Amino acid sequence: MTASIAADGLGVRFQFDRQSRVVSPQLARLRRRGEESWGLRGVSFSVGPGEGVALVGASGSGKTTLLRCIGGIFAADEGRIAVRGHVASLLSIDAGLTGELTGRENAMLLGVVGGLTRREVRRSLDEIRTRTALEDEFDHPVSSYSQGMRARLGFAVAVQAGADVLLLDEVHEALDHEFRSVVEAFTRSLLARGGVVVAAGHDHPLLERICERGILLSAGHLRADGSFAEVVREYLLT
Amino acid sequence: MAEPAASSGRDGGDRGALPAAVARNVELLAALVASDLRARYGRGRFRMLKWLLDPFALVGVYLLLVTFVLDRPGRAPGVSLACAVIPFQLVMMAVMNGMNSVNLRRSIVLNTPLPRLMIPLSGALTETVAFAASLSLLALMVAVYDVPLTAAVLWLPVVLAVNVLLAIAVAYLASLVGLWFRELRPFMISFVRALFFLAPGLVPLSTIGGRAYDLIRLNPLTGLFEAYRAVVVEGHRPAAWELLYPTAVALLLLAVLLPVYRREARHFAKVV
Repeated sequence: MTASIAADGLGVRFQFDRQSRVVSPQLARLRRRGEESWGLRGVSFSVGPGEGVALVGASGSGKTTLLRCIGGIFAADEGRIAVRGHVASLLSIDAGLTGELTGRENAMLLGVVGGLTRREVRRSLDEIRTRTALEDEFDHPVSSYSQGMRARLGFAVAVQAGADVLLLDEVHEALDHEFRSVVEAFTRSLLARGGVVVAAGHDHPLLERICERGILLSAGHLRADGSFAEVVREYLLT
Repeated sequence: MAEPAASSGRDGGDRGALPAAVARNVELLAALVASDLRARYGRGRFRMLKWLLDPFALVGVYLLLVTFVLDRPGRAPGVSLACAVIPFQLVMMAVMNGMNSVNLRRSIVLNTPLPRLMIPLSGALTETVAFAASLSLLALMVAVYDVPLTAAVLWLPVVLAVNVLLAIAVAYLASLVGLWFRELRPFMISFVRALFFLAPGLVPLSTIGGRAYDLIRLNPLTGLFEAYRAVVVEGHRPAAWELLYPTAVALLLLAVLLPVYRREARHFAKVV
């Protein structure tokens, strides 16, 4: 496995109309221009196979925006980002889940979105059900799930298509202790196989167990890149 | 301000090959449509029944009113009206679904790099599956009026294909309007409803004369309604313009809108 991430001068811009709603650049051109701000700007770094990187910073510093860029959810407005390997992401508690659908139906849909065929997902549904430990709840609508149950399902579904690059955004912090250890075991195994893990959050002891390296973000800029302990020290000093 | 240079590289492996990409998109569409239908019709034993009865709830009451209560002149007026109301229903539902389609997929858009081009398409195809049940309503009207079907009915799949193509094209337009001008959604619905009345929906085109006849033919729904009437009521193949004009409008819409939609889709996760 040769997973990697390389960002060079990466920038993501948010444009707002006069009513402070986020608008696309095309719409910004159509309407009278409002304001703009950069969620990320001039961010450059690279991550090689087997590296676990924690994104550290205050709320609004750009951690989620960076994870979404790596996941291909946000396009770069400036600079470039290249990701090698299949990305599995758990970027919110909802994790792409649809409330009206059952756990099984969500697994089916998100498995195909993740790159599997319907036949492949059908074959792996029992395995996913076991992995989530949701038992009978797996066939109930997701709208009846607790946050922890959603996170369990989201994680199991995210990694079912195979992950070379795993993105975690705070949601793993919503997991109970038992499932947290499952996630930690998975990330360690992924790193050992040459995969990449990028995780953001505020639970530093948990992040430290997953990631040796840290990146400090502040107001959309990269402020520090080094060992996790050094980066957290710098973050706490600022 | 000029757009800053930017790029996002993604190693897609052998998925870049065209046949594999087509197969992947077909899988994706099937999964999206299946999940939409499940959310709409449920998963119990009665979902087929609900699917079949939905069109009756939407337009069936109106058609039955015309058929059994109102005494309207003309040849099989109920079937003639169904030939307009039923195809219009697909266009209307594609617009309504399209306007909310990106927001409905918000959770997936924010978490996965789902090919955004599929969103309005899957919505229009979901409505097409729902629309298929409406054909039972058309068959019922044909039976009630005892309209003899001829070999011209073999043209029906072609007419249906044009109807679906038009629905897909307006779904892309609707999804852009729904994202750009959220406050104008009710206006958009009223506009599409107005298009029904600016087409020969209530009466056949042959009963309209003068300048109105030429103007009404500019509406792509006119050709569509008349094509349904030709194959179902009148028993002859549709005139070429009845199929070609709506097809040309749909293709023109897609040619203009798809590049705009593609550019817009890069920013969906920011604006939903």
